[in-house]
Amino acid sequence: MRPRGRRATLLVGVVLTAVVVAPLAWLWQDSRLPASYAATDMGYPDHGGEVFDAHATGGHTDGGGRDAPSVRSVDTLAPPEERPADVEVTLVARAGEVDLGGGRTLDGYTLNGASPGPEIRALQGQLVEVRLVNESVPGGATLHWHGVDVPNAMDGVAGVTQDAVPVGGEHVYRFVADQVGTYWYHSHQLSHEQVRRGLLGALVVEPADGTPAADDPAGDAVALVHLYGGVRTLNGRPGESRHVVEPGATVRVRVVNTDNGPMSVWVSGAPFRLLAVDGTDVSQPSTVQDVAVEVTAGARADLEVQTPADGSGARIELGGPVLVLGPEQADPASTPRPSEQVDPLSYGRPAPPPFDVDAPDRTFEYRIGRRPGFLDGRPGLWWTVNGGMYPDVPMFMVADGDVVRMTVSNDSGDGHPMHLHGHHALVLARDGVPATGSPWWVDSLEVGDGETYDLAFLADNPGLWMDHCHNLPHAAQGLVAHLMYEGVTTPYRIGGANEPE
Amino acid sequence: MRAAYRVLAYLVAALVVVQAAAIAWALSGLTSWVADGGTLDAAAMESEDVLFDEVAGFIVHGVNGMMLIPLVALVLLIVSFFAKVPKGVAWAGGVLGLVVVQVLLGMFSSGLPLAGLLHGANALVLFVAALQAGRLARTDVTTEATPLVTSPR
Repeated sequence: MRPRGRRATLLVGVVLTAVVVAPLAWLWQDSRLPASYAATDMGYPDHGGEVFDAHATGGHTDGGGRDAPSVRSVDTLAPPEERPADVEVTLVARAGEVDLGGGRTLDGYTLNGASPGPEIRALQGQLVEVRLVNESVPGGATLHWHGVDVPNAMDGVAGVTQDAVPVGGEHVYRFVADQVGTYWYHSHQLSHEQVRRGLLGALVVEPADGTPAADDPAGDAVALVHLYGGVRTLNGRPGESRHVVEPGATVRVRVVNTDNGPMSVWVSGAPFRLLAVDGTDVSQPSTVQDVAVEVTAGARADLEVQTPADGSGARIELGGPVLVLGPEQADPASTPRPSEQVDPLSYGRPAPPPFDVDAPDRTFEYRIGRRPGFLDGRPGLWWTVNGGMYPDVPMFMVADGDVVRMTVSNDSGDGHPMHLHGHHALVLARDGVPATGSPWWVDSLEVGDGETYDLAFLADNPGLWMDHCHNLPHAAQGLVAHLMYEGVTTPYRIGGANEPE
Repeated sequence: MRAAYRVLAYLVAALVVVQAAAIAWALSGLTSWVADGGTLDAAAMESEDVLFDEVAGFIVHGVNGMMLIPLVALVLLIVSFFAKVPKGVAWAGGVLGLVVVQVLLGMFSSGLPLAGLLHGANALVLFVAALQAGRLARTDVTTEATPLVTSPR
């Protein structure tokens, strides 16, 4: 070949290379995140079809003829400081060995020397004050009160409602335990790593007028399930645990799934009722037997188990670990997982919703998908929200008092346990089939591949709230959006020392 | 450049072998872990914990299949623009295309098991295509003399 021809071939090669590489380079560059950014700068505002919002000036006005709210910082959204605490707890976070019993230990994180951390109990209406001291968790830590609709400043999301508590630092959380039910707490700094390794515990709010569990310990048992280093545990212990009760006793078992995917719970040897879902009581739950209850990541289910009168006991099967209810010597037989599941869509008796779900002020779509691309410069298959990849995701804008309708759909090839902070949402329909059972209130909802849920909630808790996947690695891979109240700002920034996922 | 083309094409084929070995190894590990009393459900599958040592096979399969092989196939295509291998660009493009199809089939296989069936079959198609591309770039089947010295012609 002559030199001139060679030069031409070389040129063609360079041009073709540029054609292949340039778009990739551009996509890579375009996906890079700034070193730090405010949650309010992340993504694009979605006003949910607020029809009166047109021609609003300044961007942060509230439409519909209402007065624009004054600008508030998340820091101001807290209970009054002068009110004394009714329940005071100090939690010391450390990096170290987690004791799984039987001589087995694991490198992880502890709260007050153990994982799970101490079970916190409060009566409805009490003010809970928790001081988090970070003694040695290297990445910093926070505490998020999963399922409790706390004031925004207490939500514990690093970079959104506070700075991560560095080693040697501390932070005080204060909230009134208004909602009766089963909840849990966990770190929301580097959550995909810190929760897995042990920064978590149970939180139970009991009715103020009932018999507290302290007076009737046999009637109430927390069953917090967590995987430590691949070992599924119940309250931090693998295998079988025992909750000793008299024959025929009734026990409320509070199941908490702290892992990243849905688990099944079923009862061997006794009928049960599903008393509560995500902390909210089910209306007139019927007695069932030989059915499983799905508890998705972050979700809770309260089961009321009627143990047999003959003292043979019952087994709460938790996909590995087991809670045996009964007298000391009871040895109930194990059963395989029933194929049938309790469907909360039709379980219990309906009741009218507390607000008009048919006249929403905002209507949002939360479409979950997946496609190849770059996330902060890293190539891979990443989750998308309404077609956009993080940080090109919607900020769902609302105003205090709005009735919000949200359709969550999933076409991503994988299930997602969606968790909305600071609010409980009412499930109206699944795949177009309307709910016919008890009002089904959720804070953590499994949206399976190919499923669509219609939800409604009342925007009554001003702040900046995450609405994300509680499969925490998924959240770290960008399956995160925010619910934002107009006029609320944050002085905190994501990036640098704050990595909420 | 021709040698680079050959090496990259054979590298794709070798990495496909690694893929098959890694996934079979991981599934064997999973089977034996379940036989020993391990419980596999969605919560366990989604955990980032090491349930059993052979989980490494899933990780290798994922990183190799979604990052390394696509990268090597892309570089192969770029090299093909300069390597003057007969039909080299077409074969490199074909290999990259099969890689893309393979990644997509893998992605969809959890929701659509049929995609998994095709994923397994397409792996062999990709393996053969990569081998064939490598063979095209063998120096002894060269039809053109190496144009380092200008011939008097």
